[in-house]
Amino acid sequence: MGSEMKTVKDNSTDLRLSHVQLDQEVELVSIDLPDNQAEPLFERGFLPGCRICPVRSSPSGDPIVDVDGSQMALRRETADCLCVKALRDLKGK
Amino acid sequence: MSPTDETEHLGQVLESSEDVPLIALAGAPNSGKTTLFNRLTGLRQKVANYPGVTVEKHIGELRSDDQVLADLVDLPGIHGFAARTLDEKVTKDVLEGRVDGIKKPDAVVIVIDSTRLENQLMLVEQVLELNLPALLVLNMADELKGRGGSVNANALSEKLGIEVIWTNGRTGEGTGAIIEYVARLKDNDSVPSEVSGEIKTSINSQKLPVLESFSKRKEVVKEAVSDAEFIPPEPSAVSGFLDSLVLHKIWGPMIFFAVVVFVFQSIFTWAVPLMDGIELLIETSGIWMSEILPDNWLKSLLVDGIWAGVGSVVVFLPQILILFLFIGILEDSGYMARAAVIADRVMYRIGLQGKAFLPLLSGYACAVPAILSARTIEDDRDRMATIFVTPFMTCSARLPVYVLLIAAFIPNEPFMGTFLNKRAGVLILLYALGVAAAIMTAFILKRTLLKAEPSTFLMELPPYRLPSLQSLGLRLLDRGKIFLLRVGKIIFTVTIVLWILTQFPRTELGPPEIEQSALGQIGHVIEPVIEPLGFDWRIGIGLITSLAAREVIVGTLGTIYGMESADEESLDLQSALQESVSFPAAIGLLVFFAFALQCMATVATVKRETGGWKWASFQFLYMLALGYFGALLAFNVF
Repeated sequence: MGSEMKTVKDNSTDLRLSHVQLDQEVELVSIDLPDNQAEPLFERGFLPGCRICPVRSSPSGDPIVDVDGSQMALRRETADCLCVKALRDLKGK
Repeated sequence: MSPTDETEHLGQVLESSEDVPLIALAGAPNSGKTTLFNRLTGLRQKVANYPGVTVEKHIGELRSDDQVLADLVDLPGIHGFAARTLDEKVTKDVLEGRVDGIKKPDAVVIVIDSTRLENQLMLVEQVLELNLPALLVLNMADELKGRGGSVNANALSEKLGIEVIWTNGRTGEGTGAIIEYVARLKDNDSVPSEVSGEIKTSINSQKLPVLESFSKRKEVVKEAVSDAEFIPPEPSAVSGFLDSLVLHKIWGPMIFFAVVVFVFQSIFTWAVPLMDGIELLIETSGIWMSEILPDNWLKSLLVDGIWAGVGSVVVFLPQILILFLFIGILEDSGYMARAAVIADRVMYRIGLQGKAFLPLLSGYACAVPAILSARTIEDDRDRMATIFVTPFMTCSARLPVYVLLIAAFIPNEPFMGTFLNKRAGVLILLYALGVAAAIMTAFILKRTLLKAEPSTFLMELPPYRLPSLQSLGLRLLDRGKIFLLRVGKIIFTVTIVLWILTQFPRTELGPPEIEQSALGQIGHVIEPVIEPLGFDWRIGIGLITSLAAREVIVGTLGTIYGMESADEESLDLQSALQESVSFPAAIGLLVFFAFALQCMATVATVKRETGGWKWASFQFLYMLALGYFGALLAFNVF
C-alpha cells in the first residue's frame, strides 16, 4: 500500500471518493451532482477545498468519512459523485 | 392570551403570547439543544403539530423567580436552510415569522456542539443571515475540554458580532447565562441586534448560485475559527473503538440484530404484565363502580362506556413509554445513527431509508408506538411513507384473530410430510403477506404520491455520549402526555360511539340483544356489501367492532353466537364458526385482517403524526380496499 491512488490518469480529478482507501486524506475538487442533491452536502461541509478522510466502511460497504472533524456516512453512489484529489503529503506509509 | 391561559388550552393551536418576547431555539441535531430547552422550560411546555405537517411545535415558558420572562420555541434540529426537508423549511418559516399563530421571534438562541464547531458554524452563519438578535451557545463544553480542544469565546463573539456563552447541557452549567440574556432582552437592555459586517456581506451571498454562497460562508467560518484560535478536540478514542465494533462487517449486524430483538422483546413481551396490570385495574375499579352505583343506563355509560374507553387508551401507555425510553437511549447515546447506517441498504431497496427500521420493526408489536417513533426520520416524505406502511406489519392484535380462524379452519397436520405444520405455515404466510404489502406499497408511494427528487443520504455520526436521565424522563413525560391527550381522545370517542350503538334501541328490559341493536342493524345493512366475500351480518358486526381494535372481533363473535366469555381458544366458538362460515370465507377473513386497518388507535395516531385527517383517511381507505379485494380474491380462489 503506497501513496499511489488507483487512478489511471495523472491528474487526479478523476479520482472519486468511493475509491479512496481508508485513512487517506483527500481534498474535494467538485461534486458531480445537480444543485438540489449537492446542497445537503455543501451544508455539511463538503465544499471544494475541504479535507476528507475515509475512516471506515459500513458492513454494506458504504464509506464513512471525516470532514472537518465530523464523521458522516454516505451511500456508495453518493461517494461516486465526489471528485477528489490526493494530497501530496499523505499520512505515514 | 396571557401565559396562564395557555395552560388550559392544551387542545388548541399553540399561540405565543403577545406580552412576552418569543425566543427561538435553533441548532443542529444532537447538539443538546432539546436537553437545554427542557432545562429552561421544565414541565411548562406544550406540544402540537405545525398545521398539516408531521413537524412538531414545542413551546414552553422560560421563568425566573416565578416571573415569565419569555416564551421559548424549540425548533427542529437542522443542518441548514436548503429546505430539502420539512424540518428545515418550517424552521426557516418560523424564524422569518411566516407561520400562523407564531409571531416572528424576538431573538434566536443558536445551540451548537462545541466539539464540532467548524462544521456547525456553517449553520450559525445561515441563521445569522436572517438578521435576528442572536445568542450563540457553545454546548458540550466539558467534552471539548476533555478531548483537548478549546476555543476563545470572546474572540469568536467579536468576530461574529453576537454574544457567545458556554454551556454544559448535562449539568446545566451556563443555563443561567441564557436566562440572563433573555431577561436583558425583555427589558430591551443592551442586547446587540446588529450582526457583524462579515456576516452582512454573506447575507448578499444568498443571491449567489448555491455553491458560491456556501463557499463564501465557508470562508467566513474559516476566518472565525482561526481568529478564535479553535483547537479541534482529539477524535474520541472511545467512539472510535465502539464504532470499530458497531460498524464491523460481522459484529455490526449482529449487535444491530441483538439491539433490535431486545427492543422488540421489551415491547412485545415485557410490556404485557404492565398492560395486564392496567387492564386488571380498570376491570376491578369498574366492578367496584358497578356495585356502588344504581343499576341504570347511567351506570352502564360510566362503567361499560366511559371507563372501558379510558382503559382502552391507557393500556397503550406501557408499550409507548418503553419504546420511547429505548428510542431516547439509542438516539442520545449516538447509536441510532449507526443503526440507521446498517439498516440503510435494505431500507433503500424498498424505497425507504435507514431510520425506517425502527418503526417497521416496532410495528410487529403494535403500530401505535411504532408510528410515533417514525419522527426520528428527518426527511418528511420518507417519514410519511414509513408511517403509511407500518400498519402492514403484523401487530400483536392480529394474532388472536389469526389464532381463532386458523384453529377453527386449518387442520393441525404436517404440511406435505415435512416438519412444518400447516397451521404454522399459514401463520407465517400471513406475516409474509403483511411484509409484501408493506414493501409493495412503499415502492408505489415513493414513485407516485411521495415521489421526491432523489435525496442524498447523509448520516452524521455524533460521538457516543451517555444519555442524560433528566432528558429521557422529560421526553417520556412529554410523549405520554401527547399520546393520552391527542390520540387518546379519538380512541375514547370511537369506543363510546360503538358502545352507544349497542345500547339502542332499548327494550323495556334494558339494552337490546346484539342483533336488534343499532350495531346489529348496521351489520345487516352492510351484509350485501360483504356477501361477495362470503361474510354474513354476524361477521359484519364483528368487522365494525373490530374497528376499535382488531382483537375485539373475537369477543364480539362470542357474544353473537351466544357465548359468555369466548376467546380465540374457545372450542365452542371455533365450532360455531365452522358451521356458519365457509372455508374460503375464513381464508378471506384472514386476508382481510392482514390488510385492513382495523384499528382506530392507529388511525388516530396517524392523524396526529401527519397533522390532519387527509393521510389518515387515505391510508384507512387504501388498506380497506386492499383488504376487501384480497378477501374477495381469496374467497373465489379457495
